[in-house]
Formats: sequence, structure tokens, C-alpha cells
Amino acid sequence: MAPVVDRLKTEYEGVVEFRLINVETDAEGAQIANDFGVQYVPSFVLLGGDGAQRDLLVGEMTEEQLRAALDALK
Amino acid sequence: MKRAQVLAVVFGVAVVIVAIVALSSGTPTPGLIDNGDLSRLQEEGARIVDVRTAAEFTGAHIEGAENVPLSDLAAVADGWDRTAPVVVYCAVGDRSDSAAGMLQSMGFERVYDLGGGIAQWDGALAGGAAAATDAGVAPQVALSGLPILYEFYTDW
Repeated sequence: MAPVVDRLKTEYEGVVEFRLINVETDAEGAQIANDFGVQYVPSFVLLGGDGAQRDLLVGEMTEEQLRAALDALK
Repeated sequence: MKRAQVLAVVFGVAVVIVAIVALSSGTPTPGLIDNGDLSRLQEEGARIVDVRTAAEFTGAHIEGAENVPLSDLAAVADGWDRTAPVVVYCAVGDRSDSAAGMLQSMGFERVYDLGGGIAQWDGALAGGAAAATDAGVAPQVALSGLPILYEFYTDW
């Protein structure tokens, strides 16, 4: 897990749930990625509290980019 | 006009002619290329190599590409024709940069690296996720009431 995601996971605990999926080693990881239409790694899928997909970010993200996407979910 | 000046003019004209021929042939210069260059190289029959993992390749890949993960590239490429054009790509361009350097050091003469990787490719895709989920419609997932961030990654 990237240090940026690790930091943000701690910071947003109780506000946003982080689900980190290794598409190669996690059971059904590739299937879940496929269900979301994820074609590249790393990718980030953001869902609202109702489960609706809000965003799909592809590629390495800076802390600022991820933070902005997370704040948009609040 | 002195002999040296004549030679200089002749050399200059020759350089211009070679440049024009090279440009008009449509063959990209080895190194970083864009989508248009890749399309031209595909028509030329270049070997297109996806250096991502097998799982990533299965999800989606550029049509006509073969999968040789970066970790296997040196061993597999050892049997390839070093004079033929080879295009490498990955997700966003990091692994393909390493792959291109590796192939060049092995003596490959025409190595091309798709800048930005498959993430910015706008041509045909093949693979399971080529028909992706409709945008904005998430598959059924267990909800906790909180917003969720999924990160999809690999260890490479």
C-alpha cells in the first residue's frame, strides 16, 4: 500500500471506508476490478454512502488529488 | 566557390533530403511515441508488447499486443529479432520506460515506448474489461453507510 493511501486511510477513519484490493493476490480481486470497469492499476473507485459510483481515478495520485476526491464524497 | 564551400552545400542538401525522406515515410523515430505513431507501427507489423502483469493484461490490452511482464522480458526477448520494431507499453509509462531501456541495452535497434501507457490509448482494446461497466453504475457491494474508496493495485 502506498504511503499516501496509508496516511489518508488513518486520517479519514470513520469518515470514508478504504478497501484496498490487490488484483493479483486477493481472492476475487480481479473480478471486483472487472465489475467496476477498472482496466489499469493503480485505479481508485469512489462510491458515495449509497453505493453509487462517484468517480474513477486512473494512475498514481498525489495526496492532494486523493484528498480532493475524498472530500468531494462528504 | 571554393571546394570546401561546395562540399558544405552538397552535405547540407543531402541532410535535408534524408530528413524529408525520413519524415515522409511516416516511420517514427525510436523512443517515446504517441497513439498516432503506434497506429503506424501496427500497420508496419511491429511487435506490440504489454509489459504489465498477466492480470492487468487479461483485464484489457491494446488489440494485437502480446503480454510479457517486465520481470520476464529479458529472458523472453532474447529470442526476438533485434532489427524488427518493438513497441512496449504498460499502464501509465513507468514500467515501459524500464522495458525500453532493457531492450536497448540488449541491442534492439528500434525500440518504441508508448508515452502515458494504455491509460491514454484511444484505439481498439481487447480483453475482459473492454466492455466496461456503465459509468456511474456501481456493481453491488456491501455497504457500511460510509462513502467508500477502492484502491486497485499490484505489487510490482
